[in-house]
Amino acid sequence: CCWDPLVLCMDVGFSMSNSAPGEEPPFELAKKVIQKFVQRQVFAENKDELALVLFGTDSTKNPLDRDGQYQNITVHRHLMIPDFELLEEIENQVHPESQQADWMDALVVCMDLLQTETKGKKFDRLNVALLTDLSTQANQDHLDVIIENLKQAGITLQFFLPFPAEDDEEGGGDSDRRGPGHPGTGKGLSREQKESLDLVKHVMLSLDEEDGLDQVYTFRDAIEQLCMFKRIERRPMAWPCQLTIGSCLSIRIVGYKAVTEERLKKMWVTVDAQSNQKEDVKRETVYCLDDDNETEVKKDDTIQGFRYGSDIVPFSKVDQDQMKYKHDGKCFAVLGFTKQNLVFSWGQHAGVALSALIRALDELQMVAIVRYAYDRRSNPQVGAAFPCVKQDYECLMYVQLPFMEDLRQFTFPSLENNKKLSPSDTQLSAVDSLIDSMMLVQKDDDDADQKDIFKVHHIPNPAFQRHFQCLHHRAVNPGTPLPPMEPWLKAALERPDVISERCQAPLEEIKRKFPLIEVEKKKKLKTSAQIFGKDAEEPDAKKAKGDEEEDYNLADIAEGSVTSVRIRGQLTHRIEQLLSNKNTHYYMKSITCIQAFREQSVKLGNADLYNSYLQSLKRSIPNRRLEVFWDLLVQGMLSRITAGFLSNRPFLERRLHFHIIAAVPSAEDTGDVDDLVCVCDFLAFKYLTDVP
Amino acid sequence: MAEWNAYYQNEDEDEEQEEGEQSGGDYKVTGRDSLVFLVDASKEMFIKGEDGEPSNFDMTMQVVRSVYTSKIISSHRDLVALVFYGTEQSKNPRNSFKYVYVYHDLDEPGAKRVQEVDALRGEKGARLAAETMGSGETSLGDALWCCANLYSDIKLRLSHKRLMIFTCRDEPHRGDSAKDRQARTKASDLKETGVIIDLMHLMKPGGFDVAPFFRDIVSQPEDESELGLHLEPCDKLEDLQKRVRAKEQKKRAMARLNLCLGEGINVAVGIYATAVTARKPAAIRLYRETNEPVRSKTRTFHMQTGSLLLPSEIKKAQTYGKKQIVMERDEVDSIKKFQDPGLYLIGFKPMEKLKTHHHIRPAVFLYPEEGEVKGSACLFSALLMKCSERNVFALCRCVSRRNYPPRFVALVPQREEVDEGKVQFTPPGFNVIYLPYADDLRTLDPPQCPSASQIQVDKMKEIVSKLRFKYRSEAFENPVIQQHYRNLEALALDMMAPEDTEDLIMPKVDQINHRLGPLAEEFKDLVYPAGYNPESKSVAKRKTAIVGGVAEKKPKAEVPEDELRAHVQNGTLGKLTVPVLKEACKQFGVRTTGTKKQELIDALTTRLAA
Repeated sequence: CCWDPLVLCMDVGFSMSNSAPGEEPPFELAKKVIQKFVQRQVFAENKDELALVLFGTDSTKNPLDRDGQYQNITVHRHLMIPDFELLEEIENQVHPESQQADWMDALVVCMDLLQTETKGKKFDRLNVALLTDLSTQANQDHLDVIIENLKQAGITLQFFLPFPAEDDEEGGGDSDRRGPGHPGTGKGLSREQKESLDLVKHVMLSLDEEDGLDQVYTFRDAIEQLCMFKRIERRPMAWPCQLTIGSCLSIRIVGYKAVTEERLKKMWVTVDAQSNQKEDVKRETVYCLDDDNETEVKKDDTIQGFRYGSDIVPFSKVDQDQMKYKHDGKCFAVLGFTKQNLVFSWGQHAGVALSALIRALDELQMVAIVRYAYDRRSNPQVGAAFPCVKQDYECLMYVQLPFMEDLRQFTFPSLENNKKLSPSDTQLSAVDSLIDSMMLVQKDDDDADQKDIFKVHHIPNPAFQRHFQCLHHRAVNPGTPLPPMEPWLKAALERPDVISERCQAPLEEIKRKFPLIEVEKKKKLKTSAQIFGKDAEEPDAKKAKGDEEEDYNLADIAEGSVTSVRIRGQLTHRIEQLLSNKNTHYYMKSITCIQAFREQSVKLGNADLYNSYLQSLKRSIPNRRLEVFWDLLVQGMLSRITAGFLSNRPFLERRLHFHIIAAVPSAEDTGDVDDLVCVCDFLAFKYLTDVP
Repeated sequence: MAEWNAYYQNEDEDEEQEEGEQSGGDYKVTGRDSLVFLVDASKEMFIKGEDGEPSNFDMTMQVVRSVYTSKIISSHRDLVALVFYGTEQSKNPRNSFKYVYVYHDLDEPGAKRVQEVDALRGEKGARLAAETMGSGETSLGDALWCCANLYSDIKLRLSHKRLMIFTCRDEPHRGDSAKDRQARTKASDLKETGVIIDLMHLMKPGGFDVAPFFRDIVSQPEDESELGLHLEPCDKLEDLQKRVRAKEQKKRAMARLNLCLGEGINVAVGIYATAVTARKPAAIRLYRETNEPVRSKTRTFHMQTGSLLLPSEIKKAQTYGKKQIVMERDEVDSIKKFQDPGLYLIGFKPMEKLKTHHHIRPAVFLYPEEGEVKGSACLFSALLMKCSERNVFALCRCVSRRNYPPRFVALVPQREEVDEGKVQFTPPGFNVIYLPYADDLRTLDPPQCPSASQIQVDKMKEIVSKLRFKYRSEAFENPVIQQHYRNLEALALDMMAPEDTEDLIMPKVDQINHRLGPLAEEFKDLVYPAGYNPESKSVAKRKTAIVGGVAEKKPKAEVPEDELRAHVQNGTLGKLTVPVLKEACKQFGVRTTGTKKQELIDALTTRLAA
């Protein structure tokens, strides 16, 4: 129900094109202000309707055009939600024109537009933003009536001018900041401009005696402030409930979500690259059985189940709803794991009661542990309500707490009690001075106030800013690469310059005092020995088993990727596919497949398929120049065999191993086979002798 | 209320997204974790404590059960075994070991196993144990050897292998040095194959002396600084549970990053999740005929040609201000990239600048990775000590993964704390608090309310003091998840009805009322005027809500067609409410998959603009 209709009213008359050499004309600056503003509104998907009125136009097009009054004023666009069409119009159809019009007349046209077009609609406030250089003499005949009308209709005014409204009486800093960017500051204003400026001040101060002039901006300041895309704003919603203590004491409260990780409302939609139409793309999910043919089944022929450890339990939706945890619904406060609510009191009597609780908790330095359920459909939570006593309000702050199931209890080696690691006194003092130099909160000696120079909660989410920047760029400049990040955004994420300068020396000291040596990483596994673990090379079970976590293991790959590939026909097909790529990476994958094939054969108790495939594969090796692969395979299988012996596998499997041995190309590789036998014997021996 | 509902649903989706973010590729899964419980079944284990305290055996079974069920909930792919030693009967794969009873070999725990462990609990359990296994001689060496076979019989790759010995006998072989020696040899064999052996020693009269025998059996701590062996035996279930829990899960870093203090000063750190929201697992689709799981395949294809679309034939689009903006898929990724992963120190702030409510995600934990950059632990430790001493936190910019936009985090120092039993209850390191951006804060307009008088506050203080309790985070089970698993358990075991779950986060109203006594009335008299009933209004409301919840439906909200078209034309569809939009979709036969407002708007716009 609540939006703020706004009329942008821009002067396009000929004086707006005047500028000192080397300076941008006011027209261009004003146009930029409008563009930036509309862009923000478009991306914020703001529901505020917007109209555009131009004055100083060669033609006249407005409802008040009568008897030669309100001339050279054009209503370019009526109140509508802003869109890219409007942006394009501003870009292509708003040009400097050669007439001049009375800005006061333009204001009246805007007021009229607002009043007729918002009739019968609900709104918060009506707004008019006027962008002009004030070069025309304004007609002051009906000034009082206009001001009275503005007040009555609740219209707020903003002025955007090429020069500041007030000369910098305070001098110094302010003018430095604004610098030479403002042509004609103080001096060089025409008589008309000076008179108009006085009129602007008079109007603004009549509307708001105290802060009226705060609503008069320069073009440059406005552009600077508008460079940021609007932050996501969501109106906090009230959640009325009762805080209960037992069944005898309840206090009416109302909760609001205060902090939450906002996300962009829109998702990316997949479109066809040719047509850019999402209707051309269809996604479909099919279900299939875990059999050789991957037999497809209809969704209707499937039911729902859940895993209970090793069991899979069919559990229909109906049963699930019937049996699921149910509760009485709403009870004291919040949404989500990290999210919090402020719990404000509701109604005056409740106010006193809640205040007593908040203050009691505050004075006792305690928190309330509460059960919170948003409504009947939501899961209840356990959380803590912290007292928060501020100068102008008191509230409870709710923070969700973890359930037992959520906790991971880890222990970590002690740091302080470790002599080898504990820092020396000089090291500690180096850290001390680093902290001194990098304090982001500065204490003024004479002022009790602390100044925080890096407030994270004032930074707009950079991901959103960048997102909109790129979208905007693509919309306006299709076919060009995405732009670099905006400099202001980059700077906002960096260490403040003051800190960077101050911490220079302490950092150097840290560097000297704390040697940091990067531990050289193990090289990427290349040789087969490394791929399959040390046992392929070293017939030493102890070493091989010691550090398994580092090893690249077949079973692992087989588990991860191969179970998804169907066995037999499909597996061999996959192996052949992989082997068409002559590259170690693919070799390893195909070895994994062979491994899975073998294991599957063991499970099925049928080794023939596997063995015959391996035989045929072996025969094709020389033709296909796959010797390197074969080497890897043989060594890989070797490591599996040793493992097999270690684990006293059933006879069938052992037989299979020997089939593999048999499948090793014999002529030049006899050495390998011999080694292999030795390995097995050795290991088998060691373990067999130990059997009681 | 409609708005609230729509809002609430968004909330749910958000959470799903969030989860995806956290679990996706956090760590490489390198194999299965495994855990063997090797439990002493000698007579001593069955002796009941004073005042009817449960026996050591009973206590152990309770712990085993809780590990089983927690594995089922949080990591069902882990393998667990339960082996007894010192039994009279023997049962093991090749029956080659006497006095060793493999109750459960290494496998994923399921409903049946939980039931079987349950059967060993309490008075009845002791009887069952006596009947099936009995108590006999002890050869820990054989028991360990048998366990070694369990490990080697597993065809799956194991990443983490742990064996926990539960016993109250510090000299299991009563000085038989041959048996002692054999046990030591077998223990060292096991350790060499990567099995970590822990001792969960239980109270016995005269105290448990670790030194003579078990010191050589258990694994040495990872490094000398670790508080390896707990010298005090456990005598409470809670303690035992804590000790087992602390060891039972392998700690894995979610990410390994550099904490950069300045150019060339990189401290290697690991990020650990100490609290991960447990959720009900997703359902699995089963084939109706056979109850076997089916696999789902999702394909993207062209509507007209029917051909499968390659990634290169797809682009991504969003619509703003009635304009569709299209990007390549890799552009969508690149937009999110700001910097390479890492933590970058911005500066320090006093702790009081950190607001309780200024965090937006569960905190994570930071600990140095000496193995990546040597010297990390020392600098990290110095930072930790100084931050803690000066009561400041470090503010860092954090990019947790590739192509992730930056977040700012507060590194809050946490010194190590140990309890009387030398068990670490807070580990040393930094808690990482994710801070909100401007977009994440909502502007609130707090209502003005009168403050309570001191008399009123004091009365409430009395109430607060009456209801004090010691909060322990592990005290609250999630009733939703517990109920879900009880249901599954009942179905899996063909039980008549699921076991009752106690809702631990339900206030114990009667107890509270009793403790408060007249205080509640006294307080109400102080703050409320006579006859004021804080519940009156909303109670009436709730009643109607329950009645009308399902049966009554709101009258259909229809909007005339030309009005709708006007909304489409002006782009003002957003002003309509979700039910109205849904009704409009029906009216025009527009099919929508989603229920989000934006999706409804998009669907209607496409239909009516054409």
